[in-house]
Amino acid sequence: MAKIIEHALDELYEIEGVEACMLYRIDGVPLIIRVPGYKEHLLETMFWLEKHIRHVLGEMNREGLKESVFYFRNNRILISPSSKSTILVAIAKEEANQHLVSLETLRATRIIDSILK
Amino acid sequence: MKNYRVPTGIYGLDELMDGGFRENTINTIYGGTGVGKTTFALQYSLFGLDRGEKVLYFSFEMSERQIIRDCIDMGWKEIKDYIDKGDLKIIHIFGEDLGYPTLDILEMIKKSSDNKNTRIAIDPLTYPTFYSDKEKRKSLSMIFQGLRELGTSIIVLEEAPDSGYGIGSTEPSYPTKIQSMPLYLSDTVIFLQNLGFGEMYDRTIRIMKHRGSKHGEGLYPYSIETGLGLVVRASEKQIDRVKPKNKYDDKFKVALSKTKSMGVLGQKLSVRIEVLRRNWISDEDPSEILKLVLNGKNL
Repeated sequence: MAKIIEHALDELYEIEGVEACMLYRIDGVPLIIRVPGYKEHLLETMFWLEKHIRHVLGEMNREGLKESVFYFRNNRILISPSSKSTILVAIAKEEANQHLVSLETLRATRIIDSILK
Repeated sequence: MKNYRVPTGIYGLDELMDGGFRENTINTIYGGTGVGKTTFALQYSLFGLDRGEKVLYFSFEMSERQIIRDCIDMGWKEIKDYIDKGDLKIIHIFGEDLGYPTLDILEMIKKSSDNKNTRIAIDPLTYPTFYSDKEKRKSLSMIFQGLRELGTSIIVLEEAPDSGYGIGSTEPSYPTKIQSMPLYLSDTVIFLQNLGFGEMYDRTIRIMKHRGSKHGEGLYPYSIETGLGLVVRASEKQIDRVKPKNKYDDKFKVALSKTKSMGVLGQKLSVRIEVLRRNWISDEDPSEILKLVLNGKNL
Protein backbone atom coordinates (compact mmCIF):
# COMPACT_ATOMS: atom_id res chain seq x y z
CA MET A 1 0.00 0.00 0.00
CA ALA A 2 2.79 2.40 0.97
CA LYS A 3 4.43 1.66 -2.38
CA ILE A 4 1.40 2.93 -4.33
CA ILE A 5 1.30 6.12 -2.27
CA GLU A 6 5.05 6.67 -2.71
CA HIS A 7 4.62 6.12 -6.45
CA ALA A 8 1.83 8.74 -6.56
CA LEU A 9 4.16 11.24 -4.89
CA ASP A 10 7.04 10.29 -7.21
CA GLU A 11 4.86 11.04 -10.23
CA LEU A 12 3.83 14.41 -8.82
CA TYR A 13 7.44 15.24 -7.98
CA GLU A 14 8.53 14.48 -11.54
CA ILE A 15 6.35 17.23 -13.03
CA GLU A 16 8.47 20.09 -14.30
CA GLY A 17 8.49 22.96 -11.86
CA VAL A 18 7.41 20.94 -8.81
CA GLU A 19 10.14 21.59 -6.25
CA ALA A 20 8.82 19.34 -3.52
CA CYS A 21 5.79 17.37 -2.47
CA MET A 22 4.88 16.01 0.92
CA LEU A 23 2.18 13.91 2.48
CA TYR A 24 1.37 15.21 5.95
CA ARG A 25 -0.71 13.70 8.66
CA ILE A 26 -3.47 15.85 10.14
CA ASP A 27 -1.30 16.66 13.17
CA GLY A 28 1.45 18.13 10.99
CA VAL A 29 3.75 15.10 11.05
CA PRO A 30 5.33 14.53 7.61
CA LEU A 31 4.69 10.96 6.39
CA ILE A 32 6.31 10.86 2.96
CA ILE A 33 8.53 13.59 1.55
CA ARG A 34 10.03 14.24 -1.85
CA VAL A 35 12.53 17.12 -1.64
CA PRO A 36 15.73 17.87 -3.54
CA GLY A 37 18.23 17.71 -0.66
CA TYR A 38 18.84 20.73 1.56
CA LYS A 39 17.21 23.96 0.44
CA GLU A 40 16.72 26.64 3.04
CA HIS A 41 13.59 28.18 1.54
CA LEU A 42 11.92 24.77 1.37
CA LEU A 43 12.87 24.02 4.96
CA GLU A 44 11.26 27.27 6.12
CA THR A 45 8.08 26.40 4.22
CA MET A 46 8.06 22.90 5.70
CA PHE A 47 8.40 24.26 9.24
CA TRP A 48 5.51 26.60 8.55
CA LEU A 49 3.42 23.73 7.16
CA GLU A 50 4.11 21.44 10.14
CA LYS A 51 2.98 24.20 12.46
CA HIS A 52 -0.12 25.35 10.61
CA ILE A 53 -1.40 22.43 8.57
CA ARG A 54 -3.93 21.41 11.19
CA HIS A 55 -5.49 24.89 11.28
CA VAL A 56 -5.44 25.23 7.49
CA LEU A 57 -7.20 21.89 7.19
CA GLY A 58 -9.76 22.91 9.81
CA GLU A 59 -10.58 26.07 7.85
CA MET A 60 -10.76 24.13 4.58
CA ASN A 61 -13.19 21.64 6.09
CA ARG A 62 -15.32 24.45 7.48
CA GLU A 63 -15.48 26.20 4.11
CA GLY A 64 -15.79 22.97 2.08
CA LEU A 65 -12.64 23.67 0.05
CA LYS A 66 -10.90 21.03 -2.04
CA GLU A 67 -7.63 22.91 -2.28
CA SER A 68 -5.90 25.96 -0.86
CA VAL A 69 -3.03 27.91 -2.34
CA PHE A 70 -0.42 29.96 -0.51
CA TYR A 71 2.35 32.01 -2.06
CA PHE A 72 5.74 32.13 -0.35
CA ARG A 73 8.39 34.13 -2.18
CA ASN A 74 8.68 32.45 -5.61
CA ASN A 75 6.78 29.35 -4.63
CA ARG A 76 3.17 28.39 -4.95
CA ILE A 77 2.10 25.99 -2.22
CA LEU A 78 -0.89 23.86 -2.99
CA ILE A 79 -2.60 22.12 -0.09
CA SER A 80 -5.17 19.43 -0.70
CA PRO A 81 -6.77 16.98 1.76
CA SER A 82 -6.04 13.42 0.62
CA SER A 83 -8.02 11.44 3.21
CA LYS A 84 -9.63 11.83 6.63
CA SER A 85 -6.23 12.12 8.29
CA THR A 86 -3.77 13.12 5.56
CA ILE A 87 -3.03 16.19 3.45
CA LEU A 88 -1.00 16.40 0.26
CA VAL A 89 1.17 19.46 -0.33
CA ALA A 90 2.89 20.37 -3.59
CA ILE A 91 5.43 23.20 -3.72
CA ALA A 92 5.81 24.51 -7.27
CA LYS A 93 7.93 27.22 -8.83
CA GLU A 94 6.21 30.30 -10.24
CA GLU A 95 6.93 29.29 -13.80
CA ALA A 96 5.48 25.77 -13.42
CA ASN A 97 2.27 24.91 -15.24
CA GLN A 98 -0.05 25.62 -12.32
CA HIS A 99 -3.09 24.04 -13.92
CA LEU A 100 -1.19 20.80 -14.50
CA VAL A 101 0.21 20.80 -10.96
CA SER A 102 -3.26 21.37 -9.55
CA LEU A 103 -4.82 18.58 -11.61
CA GLU A 104 -2.03 16.13 -10.82
CA THR A 105 -2.20 16.96 -7.12
CA LEU A 106 -5.93 16.23 -7.11
CA ARG A 107 -5.29 12.98 -8.98
CA ALA A 108 -2.69 11.96 -6.40
CA THR A 109 -5.06 12.79 -3.53
CA ARG A 110 -7.67 10.46 -5.06
CA ILE A 111 -5.14 7.63 -5.28
CA ILE A 112 -4.03 8.20 -1.67
CA ASP A 113 -7.62 8.36 -0.45
CA SER A 114 -8.52 5.10 -2.20
CA ILE A 115 -5.53 3.38 -0.57
CA LEU A 116 -6.01 4.74 2.92
CA LYS A 117 -9.79 4.23 3.12
CA MET B 1 33.21 -4.96 23.70
CA LYS B 2 30.78 -6.74 21.43
CA ASN B 3 27.46 -5.16 20.71
CA TYR B 4 24.94 -7.99 20.86
CA ARG B 5 21.43 -7.44 19.69
CA VAL B 6 18.23 -8.67 21.25
CA PRO B 7 15.50 -9.00 18.60
CA THR B 8 12.32 -7.19 19.56
CA GLY B 9 10.04 -9.90 18.19
CA ILE B 10 7.95 -7.22 16.48
CA TYR B 11 7.51 -8.04 12.81
CA GLY B 12 9.26 -5.48 10.61
CA LEU B 13 10.82 -3.48 13.46
CA ASP B 14 14.30 -4.96 13.87
CA GLU B 15 15.39 -3.96 10.40
CA LEU B 16 14.67 -0.35 11.30
CA MET B 17 16.62 -0.68 14.56
CA ASP B 18 19.97 -2.07 13.53
CA GLY B 19 18.88 -5.59 14.50
CA GLY B 20 16.99 -4.91 17.70
CA PHE B 21 17.66 -3.68 21.23
CA ARG B 22 21.22 -3.66 22.51
CA GLU B 23 21.84 -6.34 25.11
CA ASN B 24 21.49 -5.25 28.76
CA THR B 25 19.64 -2.04 28.07
CA ILE B 26 16.42 -0.34 29.13
CA ASN B 27 13.92 0.18 26.33
CA THR B 28 10.80 2.23 26.87
CA ILE B 29 7.57 1.73 24.95
CA TYR B 30 5.63 4.94 25.25
CA GLY B 31 2.11 5.75 24.10
CA GLY B 32 -1.52 6.44 24.91
CA THR B 33 -4.31 4.03 25.73
CA GLY B 34 -5.04 1.27 23.25
CA VAL B 35 -1.98 1.63 21.06
CA GLY B 36 -0.63 -1.86 21.82
CA LYS B 37 2.01 -1.29 24.49
CA THR B 38 1.14 -4.41 26.47
CA THR B 39 0.88 -6.42 23.24
CA PHE B 40 4.39 -5.18 22.41
CA ALA B 41 5.70 -6.31 25.80
CA LEU B 42 4.01 -9.73 25.53
CA GLN B 43 5.23 -10.21 21.96
CA TYR B 44 8.77 -9.34 23.05
CA SER B 45 8.47 -11.86 25.88
CA LEU B 46 7.04 -14.64 23.73
CA PHE B 47 9.69 -14.17 21.07
CA GLY B 48 12.33 -14.92 23.68
CA LEU B 49 10.40 -17.81 25.23
CA ASP B 50 9.99 -19.46 21.83
CA ARG B 51 13.79 -19.42 21.54
CA GLY B 52 14.46 -20.92 24.96
CA GLU B 53 15.09 -17.67 26.83
CA LYS B 54 13.84 -16.84 30.31
CA VAL B 55 11.34 -14.03 30.79
CA LEU B 56 10.33 -12.05 33.83
CA TYR B 57 7.08 -10.12 33.46
CA PHE B 58 6.51 -7.50 36.13
CA SER B 59 2.88 -6.40 36.03
CA PHE B 60 1.71 -3.45 38.08
CA GLU B 61 -1.85 -3.65 36.81
CA MET B 62 -2.94 -6.87 35.14
CA SER B 63 -3.04 -10.10 37.10
CA GLU B 64 -1.45 -13.30 35.81
CA ARG B 65 -4.93 -14.56 34.92
CA GLN B 66 -5.69 -11.45 32.83
CA ILE B 67 -2.36 -11.70 31.04
CA ILE B 68 -2.95 -15.36 30.18
CA ARG B 69 -6.43 -14.54 28.93
CA ASP B 70 -5.16 -11.71 26.72
CA CYS B 71 -2.48 -13.99 25.30
CA ILE B 72 -4.98 -16.73 24.53
CA ASP B 73 -7.23 -14.17 22.81
CA MET B 74 -4.24 -13.16 20.69
CA GLY B 75 -3.71 -16.82 19.75
CA TRP B 76 -0.65 -17.30 21.98
CA LYS B 77 -1.89 -20.33 23.88
CA GLU B 78 1.63 -21.60 24.61
CA ILE B 79 1.96 -19.00 27.37
CA LYS B 80 0.49 -21.47 29.89
CA ASP B 81 3.18 -24.05 29.10
CA TYR B 82 5.92 -21.49 29.58
CA ILE B 83 4.54 -20.54 32.98
CA ASP B 84 4.25 -24.22 33.99
CA LYS B 85 7.83 -24.91 32.87
CA GLY B 86 9.08 -21.90 34.83
CA ASP B 87 10.47 -20.13 31.79
CA LEU B 88 8.03 -17.26 32.25
CA LYS B 89 7.55 -15.71 35.66
CA ILE B 90 4.77 -13.18 36.08
CA ILE B 91 4.94 -11.00 39.17
CA HIS B 92 1.79 -9.03 39.84
CA ILE B 93 1.93 -6.32 42.46
CA PHE B 94 0.31 -2.94 42.96
CA GLY B 95 2.80 -0.08 43.06
CA GLU B 96 1.16 1.30 46.19
CA ASP B 97 2.04 -1.90 48.05
CA LEU B 98 5.76 -1.37 47.66
CA GLY B 99 7.49 0.00 50.75
CA TYR B 100 10.72 1.13 49.12
CA PRO B 101 10.04 0.85 45.38
CA THR B 102 13.64 0.93 44.22
CA LEU B 103 14.89 -1.71 46.60
CA ASP B 104 11.72 -3.82 46.53
CA ILE B 105 11.57 -4.01 42.75
CA LEU B 106 15.26 -4.83 42.39
CA GLU B 107 15.11 -7.42 45.15
CA MET B 108 12.10 -9.13 43.56
CA ILE B 109 13.73 -9.19 40.14
CA LYS B 110 17.01 -10.52 41.50
CA LYS B 111 15.20 -13.26 43.41
CA SER B 112 13.23 -14.31 40.35
CA SER B 113 16.04 -14.21 37.85
CA ASP B 114 18.89 -16.67 37.93
CA ASN B 115 20.84 -15.56 34.87
CA LYS B 116 22.15 -12.37 33.25
CA ASN B 117 20.34 -12.71 29.95
CA THR B 118 16.75 -12.48 31.00
CA ARG B 119 14.12 -10.66 29.02
CA ILE B 120 12.38 -8.40 31.50
CA ALA B 121 9.12 -6.54 30.98
CA ILE B 122 7.71 -3.94 33.38
CA ASP B 123 4.13 -3.10 32.52
CA PRO B 124 3.52 -0.25 33.27
CA LEU B 125 6.11 1.78 35.10
CA THR B 126 4.36 3.75 37.82
CA TYR B 127 5.53 6.14 40.50
CA PRO B 128 3.82 4.96 43.64
CA THR B 129 5.83 6.39 46.47
CA PHE B 130 8.46 8.81 45.27
CA TYR B 131 8.67 12.11 47.09
CA SER B 132 10.78 14.60 45.19
CA ASP B 133 12.04 14.88 41.62
CA LYS B 134 15.57 14.37 42.89
CA GLU B 135 14.59 11.14 44.62
CA LYS B 136 12.58 10.01 41.63
CA ARG B 137 15.49 10.38 39.28
CA LYS B 138 17.86 8.64 41.68
CA SER B 139 15.41 5.79 42.30
CA LEU B 140 14.76 5.33 38.61
CA SER B 141 18.48 5.41 37.84
CA MET B 142 19.06 2.73 40.48
CA ILE B 143 16.25 0.53 39.15
CA PHE B 144 17.48 0.95 35.59
CA GLN B 145 21.06 0.19 36.59
CA GLY B 146 19.96 -2.97 38.40
CA LEU B 147 17.84 -4.05 35.46
CA ARG B 148 20.71 -3.53 33.02
CA GLU B 149 22.80 -6.00 35.01
CA LEU B 150 20.09 -8.63 34.81
CA GLY B 151 19.09 -8.51 31.19
CA THR B 152 17.36 -6.56 28.46
CA SER B 153 14.26 -4.79 29.65
CA ILE B 154 11.11 -3.35 28.19
CA ILE B 155 9.44 -0.61 30.18
CA VAL B 156 5.86 0.22 29.28
CA LEU B 157 5.06 3.86 29.94
CA GLU B 158 1.56 5.27 29.68
CA GLU B 159 1.15 8.62 28.04
CA ALA B 160 -0.87 11.03 30.20
CA PRO B 161 -4.28 11.77 28.64
CA ASP B 162 -3.69 15.54 28.84
CA SER B 163 -0.43 15.41 26.89
CA GLY B 164 -2.30 15.09 23.59
CA TYR B 165 -2.26 12.45 20.87
CA GLY B 166 -4.76 10.21 22.57
CA ILE B 167 -7.20 8.48 20.26
CA GLY B 168 -8.78 11.11 18.04
CA SER B 169 -6.50 13.87 19.31
CA THR B 170 -4.42 15.81 16.84
CA GLU B 171 -2.83 18.07 19.42
CA PRO B 172 0.96 17.96 19.64
CA SER B 173 2.28 15.68 22.33
CA TYR B 174 4.68 16.88 25.00
CA PRO B 175 5.55 14.38 27.73
CA THR B 176 5.02 15.81 31.20
CA LYS B 177 7.96 16.12 33.57
CA ILE B 178 7.03 12.92 35.39
CA GLN B 179 6.79 11.00 32.11
CA SER B 180 9.90 12.38 30.51
CA MET B 181 12.30 11.16 33.18
CA PRO B 182 12.27 7.48 32.13
CA LEU B 183 12.60 8.68 28.54
CA TYR B 184 15.86 10.50 29.38
CA LEU B 185 17.21 7.50 31.23
CA SER B 186 16.23 4.84 28.70
CA ASP B 187 18.55 3.53 26.02
CA THR B 188 15.74 3.24 23.51
CA VAL B 189 12.39 4.99 23.30
CA ILE B 190 9.67 3.78 20.98
CA PHE B 191 6.57 5.92 20.58
CA LEU B 192 3.31 4.24 19.58
CA GLN B 193 0.44 6.39 18.45
CA ASN B 194 -3.13 6.05 17.25
CA LEU B 195 -5.08 9.01 15.88
CA GLY B 196 -8.21 6.91 15.63
CA PHE B 197 -9.47 7.68 12.11
CA GLY B 198 -8.99 4.06 11.11
CA GLU B 199 -6.58 4.89 8.28
CA MET B 200 -3.21 3.39 7.47
CA TYR B 201 -1.11 6.18 8.99
CA ASP B 202 -3.19 6.57 12.13
CA ARG B 203 -1.41 3.79 13.97
CA THR B 204 2.22 4.70 13.75
CA ILE B 205 5.45 3.76 15.43
CA ARG B 206 8.42 6.10 15.79
CA ILE B 207 11.85 5.26 17.13
CA MET B 208 12.54 8.38 19.17
CA LYS B 209 15.95 7.28 20.35
CA HIS B 210 18.14 4.21 20.09
CA ARG B 211 21.52 4.79 21.72
CA GLY B 212 24.61 3.65 19.88
CA SER B 213 22.62 2.39 16.91
CA LYS B 214 21.51 3.36 13.48
CA HIS B 215 17.77 3.59 13.30
CA GLY B 216 14.99 4.73 11.04
CA GLU B 217 13.79 8.23 11.76
CA GLY B 218 10.50 8.08 9.95
CA LEU B 219 6.96 7.46 11.00
CA TYR B 220 6.03 3.86 10.25
CA PRO B 221 2.48 2.49 10.04
CA TYR B 222 1.74 -0.63 12.03
CA SER B 223 -1.22 -2.86 12.71
CA ILE B 224 -2.14 -5.29 15.45
CA GLU B 225 -2.99 -8.68 13.96
CA THR B 226 -4.54 -11.49 15.99
CA GLY B 227 -2.08 -14.36 16.04
CA LEU B 228 0.91 -12.19 15.21
CA GLY B 229 0.71 -9.07 17.35
CA LEU B 230 2.28 -5.83 16.12
CA VAL B 231 3.33 -5.74 12.48
CA VAL B 232 5.32 -2.70 11.32
CA ARG B 233 4.81 -1.90 7.65
CA ALA B 234 7.70 0.27 6.56
CA SER B 235 8.04 0.75 2.82
CA GLU B 236 11.05 -0.60 0.89
CA LYS B 237 12.39 2.93 0.53
CA GLN B 238 12.12 3.53 4.28
CA ILE B 239 13.99 0.30 5.02
CA ASP B 240 16.62 1.12 2.43
CA ARG B 241 17.26 4.47 4.12
CA VAL B 242 18.55 2.68 7.24
CA LYS B 243 21.01 0.49 5.36
CA PRO B 244 24.65 1.63 5.09
CA LYS B 245 25.55 2.97 1.64
CA ASN B 246 28.89 2.27 0.02
CA LYS B 247 28.43 4.35 -3.11
CA TYR B 248 30.49 7.19 -1.61
CA ASP B 249 33.42 5.03 -0.52
CA ASP B 250 35.71 6.87 -2.96
CA LYS B 251 35.02 10.19 -1.22
CA PHE B 252 35.83 8.63 2.14
CA LYS B 253 39.05 7.14 0.74
CA VAL B 254 40.18 10.57 -0.45
CA ALA B 255 39.40 12.05 2.97
CA LEU B 256 41.26 9.22 4.72
CA SER B 257 44.33 9.76 2.56
CA LYS B 258 44.34 13.45 3.53
CA THR B 259 44.46 12.57 7.23
CA LYS B 260 47.82 10.84 6.74
CA SER B 261 49.61 14.17 6.55
CA MET B 262 47.95 15.47 9.71
CA GLY B 263 50.08 13.72 12.31
CA VAL B 264 48.65 12.22 15.50
CA LEU B 265 45.36 14.10 15.25
CA GLY B 266 45.05 12.91 11.69
CA GLN B 267 45.32 9.29 12.87
CA LYS B 268 42.51 9.84 15.34
CA LEU B 269 40.48 11.58 12.68
CA SER B 270 40.97 8.70 10.27
CA VAL B 271 39.40 6.30 12.80
CA ARG B 272 36.37 8.56 13.06
CA ILE B 273 36.05 8.92 9.31
CA GLU B 274 36.26 5.16 8.91
CA VAL B 275 33.43 4.70 11.43
CA LEU B 276 31.45 7.35 9.57
CA ARG B 277 32.02 5.51 6.29
CA ARG B 278 30.78 2.22 7.72
CA ASN B 279 27.67 3.90 9.09
CA TRP B 280 26.86 6.26 6.22
CA ILE B 281 23.18 5.61 5.56
CA SER B 282 22.32 8.82 3.78
CA ASP B 283 21.80 9.07 0.04
CA GLU B 284 23.49 12.44 0.10
CA ASP B 285 27.10 13.05 -0.85
CA PRO B 286 29.28 13.29 2.32
CA SER B 287 31.79 15.67 0.68
CA GLU B 288 30.52 18.76 2.49
CA ILE B 289 30.76 17.07 5.90
CA LEU B 290 34.19 15.62 5.13
CA LYS B 291 35.42 19.05 4.04
CA LEU B 292 34.24 20.48 7.35
CA VAL B 293 35.91 17.70 9.33
CA LEU B 294 39.19 18.07 7.44
CA ASN B 295 39.23 21.82 7.86
CA GLY B 296 42.36 22.60 9.92
CA LYS B 297 40.41 24.86 12.29
CA ASN B 298 38.32 21.94 13.48
CA LEU B 299 41.27 19.73 14.34
